[in-house]
Amino acid sequence: MTKIMIIEDDEVICKELKEILEKSGYEVILIQNFTNSLQEIYTCNPNLLLLDINIPHLNGQLLLQELRKSSDIPVIMVTSKNSEIEEALSISYGADDYITKPYNPNILLLRIGAVLKRTKTNYNTNVNKLTYKELTFDSQKGIIKKEDMEIELTKNEMIIFSYLLTHQNKIVTREELMTTLWDNAEYINENALTVNMSRLRNKLKEIGYEDAIDTRKGLGYILS
Amino acid sequence: MKFSKYFKDNLYKLLVFIVCYVFHLLIFFAFKVDKSVIISSSFLYIICFLLILFIPYVRKKKFYTDLLINIESLDKSYLVLETLSKPEFYEGELLYQALYEINKSMNEKVRFIEDHMQDVKEYIEMWIHEVKIPLSTLVLMSNNHKNQFDKKTKLQLKRLEDYVDQVLYYTRSENAEKDYLIKETELSKVIKNVGLKNMDDLLENKIDYIVENVHNKVLTDSKWLEFILGQIVNNSIKYKRNIDHSYIKISVQEKQEKTILIIKDNGIGIKESDLKQVFNKSFTGENGRNASKSTGMGLFIAKNMCEKLGHKIDIESVYHEYTKVYITFAKNKYYDVLR
Repeated sequence: MTKIMIIEDDEVICKELKEILEKSGYEVILIQNFTNSLQEIYTCNPNLLLLDINIPHLNGQLLLQELRKSSDIPVIMVTSKNSEIEEALSISYGADDYITKPYNPNILLLRIGAVLKRTKTNYNTNVNKLTYKELTFDSQKGIIKKEDMEIELTKNEMIIFSYLLTHQNKIVTREELMTTLWDNAEYINENALTVNMSRLRNKLKEIGYEDAIDTRKGLGYILS
Repeated sequence: MKFSKYFKDNLYKLLVFIVCYVFHLLIFFAFKVDKSVIISSSFLYIICFLLILFIPYVRKKKFYTDLLINIESLDKSYLVLETLSKPEFYEGELLYQALYEINKSMNEKVRFIEDHMQDVKEYIEMWIHEVKIPLSTLVLMSNNHKNQFDKKTKLQLKRLEDYVDQVLYYTRSENAEKDYLIKETELSKVIKNVGLKNMDDLLENKIDYIVENVHNKVLTDSKWLEFILGQIVNNSIKYKRNIDHSYIKISVQEKQEKTILIIKDNGIGIKESDLKQVFNKSFTGENGRNASKSTGMGLFIAKNMCEKLGHKIDIESVYHEYTKVYITFAKNKYYDVLR
């Protein structure tokens, strides 16, 4: 399981963040004592670090500088300092991404996923070829294969399908799908999402997976 | 320094001279002095008078003329003292000294106000970071406990966030100190972030966010540009028309010397009479009066920020048809060489 360590001094934020990340299938470690954070990072050896700039004892950027001397754990700076200067500074210290508060949780999750994929420490999902039952899905080419049958997906359908696939057996809200699509610069509206969804279903039906995607009224979709 | 005015001011000297001269003549007549003596002494008298009149004029003229001309020509006239050499006559010295003291005390006052402004700015920045913590908590909570927070709460939270950002960028843009970092920025990334940030609002209002092939890079501060674009998109959402197919269309025109970002909507538009004033502080106009949410600050701050970053912002509109905002980025040849 991918371990994410949160270094953040606001307890409520920590608690809520933990809940969100755990719901998405990550293991979460919180730091209680900031005097020795560097040591704790080494002992827990997380796959990714969510680091706030304004933390007690050693500030986040200094901590990052120290950490980078001996480790290349992916680090996402999460801060309320919304400034290009701070961002450039954090990146130059070796941060992999920089997110400003208040952030949209869906976007945070997407960023975490992207950083993990980029740094290839997320062993569960970092392959371009995903499988679903007897299907293999090549997200690079946008093709679903079943034995010798092949169907081609449009870009939007591909984004939707790979999101459903990486969140298999979990309810995926329309909002999450929307955010993912928009994050891929596909700025579609509610109707278009519905249309894309039913096209995707039809394509799955063609190769014999009629009820692969289930609609949960008022909640979202689930691929089971 | 005009001689005529100076002469008028020294008219009393002429009077004194005439009175003295008349008495003088009377005395000469009384003692039956020889005519030639009267003429020669009168001549001396007149020369003396002219010298008394002209010497101070010549001495003062240079100082005062320089003073007046320099005040006129300097754009910061309070610096005039630096351009003058110290006068060599007593009145001038007094004036010079007085001006020097006045300047000094004004500088102290300005310094005090600047320090105070800096304090206020720092406090506001700090306060904004503080307020963003409970705000982030609420956003996270609204995501975790969907049964307790509905969509409306989320939209309200977003409004709160927008207003907080507005304060932040207002303080940053009003401050003399440089608070931005210009670097090469992908426009598509800025457009995406603005889109994501306003996604709920756009979907809720059924406004399509259309981005036409944008692959351009510009020199700007991406955070500042995100805020500027955010203000424009916010306005388009706020002033949409009740029609089917509302949209915000973003495109780019690449020219040799510049890149122009164009944001077009098919909202209610702006009346021609209001168009010139939309960038003014607190201007709300016809549209603003009809929408109570208007503060008239968004575009003002956006314009200010554009000016600081060296971008140009223009607006074009046909009432009840569309509004088009252009942001022009200059290309920097110096930067090209560096790369």
